[in-house]
Amino acid sequence: MGKCSPLLFASRGRAGAAVRSAFVALFMAFSTPSASGNQGVYRLGVLPLQSPNKLAVMFLPLAEALSERLGRPVQFVTAPSFSAFMARVSARNYDILYLNPLLCSRALGHGYHVVAKVGGEPFTGILVVRRDSPLKDLDPAQLPPRPRIGFPDPGAYAATVMTRRYLSRLGIDVDRTFQVKYFGSQDSALMALYSGLVDVAGTWKPSLRSMPKDVRNDLRVIAETPPEPQMPIAVRNDMPPADADAIVAALTELGKTPRGQAILGGMALPQGFVAANDREYEKVGE
Amino acid sequence: MSVVAPPGLAMPLTGSAPLRTALFQTLRFRLILSVALVHVVLMGIFAAAAVHEQSDRIELELLNRSRALISMTAVASTNTVLTEDLGALAEIIQKVERQPDVAYCEISDSRGYILGTTLPDRLGKRLPPRIDQSDSFPLAPGDPTLDLREAIQVEGQTVGTVTLGLSTARMDSAMRKTWLDGSLFILLALVVGSFAAWLLSLATTRKLHDMVGATARIGKGDLDIQLPITSRDEVGMLAIAFNNMVTSLKQTSEEALREHRQRTQAERLACVGEMSASIAHEIRNPLSAVINSVNLLSGDTLQGEDRSQVIGILNNESHRLNRILSDFLDFAKIRESQPAQGNLAALIEEIASMLRQDLPPGKSIRVAVTCPPDACLAVFDHDQIRQVVWNLALNAVQAMGDNGLLSFRTARRGDKIVVTVADTGCGIQPDFIKDMTKPFVTGRRDGTGLGLAIVQRILVQHRSQLSVSSELGVGSEISFELDSGG
Repeated sequence: MGKCSPLLFASRGRAGAAVRSAFVALFMAFSTPSASGNQGVYRLGVLPLQSPNKLAVMFLPLAEALSERLGRPVQFVTAPSFSAFMARVSARNYDILYLNPLLCSRALGHGYHVVAKVGGEPFTGILVVRRDSPLKDLDPAQLPPRPRIGFPDPGAYAATVMTRRYLSRLGIDVDRTFQVKYFGSQDSALMALYSGLVDVAGTWKPSLRSMPKDVRNDLRVIAETPPEPQMPIAVRNDMPPADADAIVAALTELGKTPRGQAILGGMALPQGFVAANDREYEKVGE
Repeated sequence: MSVVAPPGLAMPLTGSAPLRTALFQTLRFRLILSVALVHVVLMGIFAAAAVHEQSDRIELELLNRSRALISMTAVASTNTVLTEDLGALAEIIQKVERQPDVAYCEISDSRGYILGTTLPDRLGKRLPPRIDQSDSFPLAPGDPTLDLREAIQVEGQTVGTVTLGLSTARMDSAMRKTWLDGSLFILLALVVGSFAAWLLSLATTRKLHDMVGATARIGKGDLDIQLPITSRDEVGMLAIAFNNMVTSLKQTSEEALREHRQRTQAERLACVGEMSASIAHEIRNPLSAVINSVNLLSGDTLQGEDRSQVIGILNNESHRLNRILSDFLDFAKIRESQPAQGNLAALIEEIASMLRQDLPPGKSIRVAVTCPPDACLAVFDHDQIRQVVWNLALNAVQAMGDNGLLSFRTARRGDKIVVTVADTGCGIQPDFIKDMTKPFVTGRRDGTGLGLAIVQRILVQHRSQLSVSSELGVGSEISFELDSGG
């Protein structure tokens, strides 16, 4: 792999992106082994729910806290897309995962197991409109013709999967009723709504809370899906149990210290983490 | 030893001071050199300062550009490093590589894995950083790359590192060009300055050259020359002073000439009087003897042997009168010398040979000739110098008794040939030496006193003079110089 020229990546567009993603996954599988590959660094893979920089701002303090607890470096990484992220998960390229329940159920099949989840707040998807939008509810009879709806990614569980499932249960065929657009991340979908590119956006509460106040105040939640198991933290099944226990301890004790609370606040998860197991996620998505 | 310069004889010309001088001694050369040196020094300082400033500017520009580029690369690659999007990183690397002077660029994650690089064989490897810290100018000798390193940070935490190397080749080339330009400016300043100095010196020294030329003409006796006054600067003032000096010199010279003519006329008249008196004195004694002898012979008182004796006296005195008049005519009619290159040694040898043959009976005088090879040739009028040497030789023979040594010697002294006639005779009275070349002054009873006067006149025409060294009872040496012609 090391002999590959950077020119390989000069292709553009969707096909180029696909090639790039495949290459990235392949490259990471071979060239950036996890700590289990005796490199001494745990890789914390975070699902690209938001922009990489924003995720870094949110999760770097957590990685640092975990690093201190584990006594070894913890590297925060994310991925260009959900599919790239899952390709790396399937290649067991991460040691610690933070992802949505749906993808977690798939990760279990790649040798990960759940050790914790976001506590307190139920895990729901929400549908958001601009505050001045004429939409008050999702009565199919009152929807304007072919409204535009935006999602972060087809694999975004709360924002896309749960909200689409919710709309289906309301009798709304999303793909026929709406003009569906995907924006790559929660933030992008919300900003698309705020700027008028779409009329409705599917997202989840932590993302909405993380938006700037002016943006947030200009948006309005018109629907919330039934709760599902919260966002889990999973680790590779070959991680030493002591390290897995240390991770659980570090996560569940975050809310007990001001620093930990600050970390959680920065992640827009003030409720913190609680211990969890695989069983809660095995049935998700079925 | 004493040197005699008979009154009335011009001193030999020693020649005027040379008017030509070496180029580097001229005012023009020194002026040009001074201006050129000033130009070179000032322009050298200016060019060095300018080049130094330009070099600093070029270095600063490269450094700033490098810093800006690496900062932009760090910012641009933050998300791609976080997402480990190697394709996007490769695009960033490609764009960076297209920037001028970029030698390499590498982006690694926090673990040290190289996620993007312009060096394909390093991609994907976990390698130590190329540099520990960023370079600054001046670079180490032989280092052609400015290496910079910048951390990719999010919220104060390092998530990756960008390492960028910029080649200094273009900068070095620009600096060399700057130095070359500076050198060309110095050269140009040197040429322009020298040309300007040449023009200035030309304007200044042309008048001085005119003045030198005028001085030379004055040296040749032309006192009518006047320099044109074309400016009111220092040189113009000098020209005015020069003209005033020439005018004054001309007046003085004319007055001196008039006085000289008057004095010469007076001396000539005195000389004629003196000469007349001398001639009268010289011929009066023999003439008196002739008259007395004629009176005696016209009577009847003389008989036999007495009559024969008186007739002998009459005969001797008549011959003496004839010789006096012949010598005087020789003295008066000395022709203009016609010097030519000749063999002086042969002439002396000829005279010596004649002397050996013509020595009176009973005299035992040895004649020696010494003419070294480098003192054989000289420029002279053959007949006149033959007479000079002959007269000196006769005087020497007459100064010696029956025995003695007569020596002829020649010797080279610079571009002159010194001819010496020496004898071991009775010597010359010191008081007599200063008058010995005057006409009709003689130390012998039977001498006419014209021999050395003729010698002196001939030597004057050869721009020479007699030099006499004598010691009573020991001998005398009489010398003169001739041009060697070499």
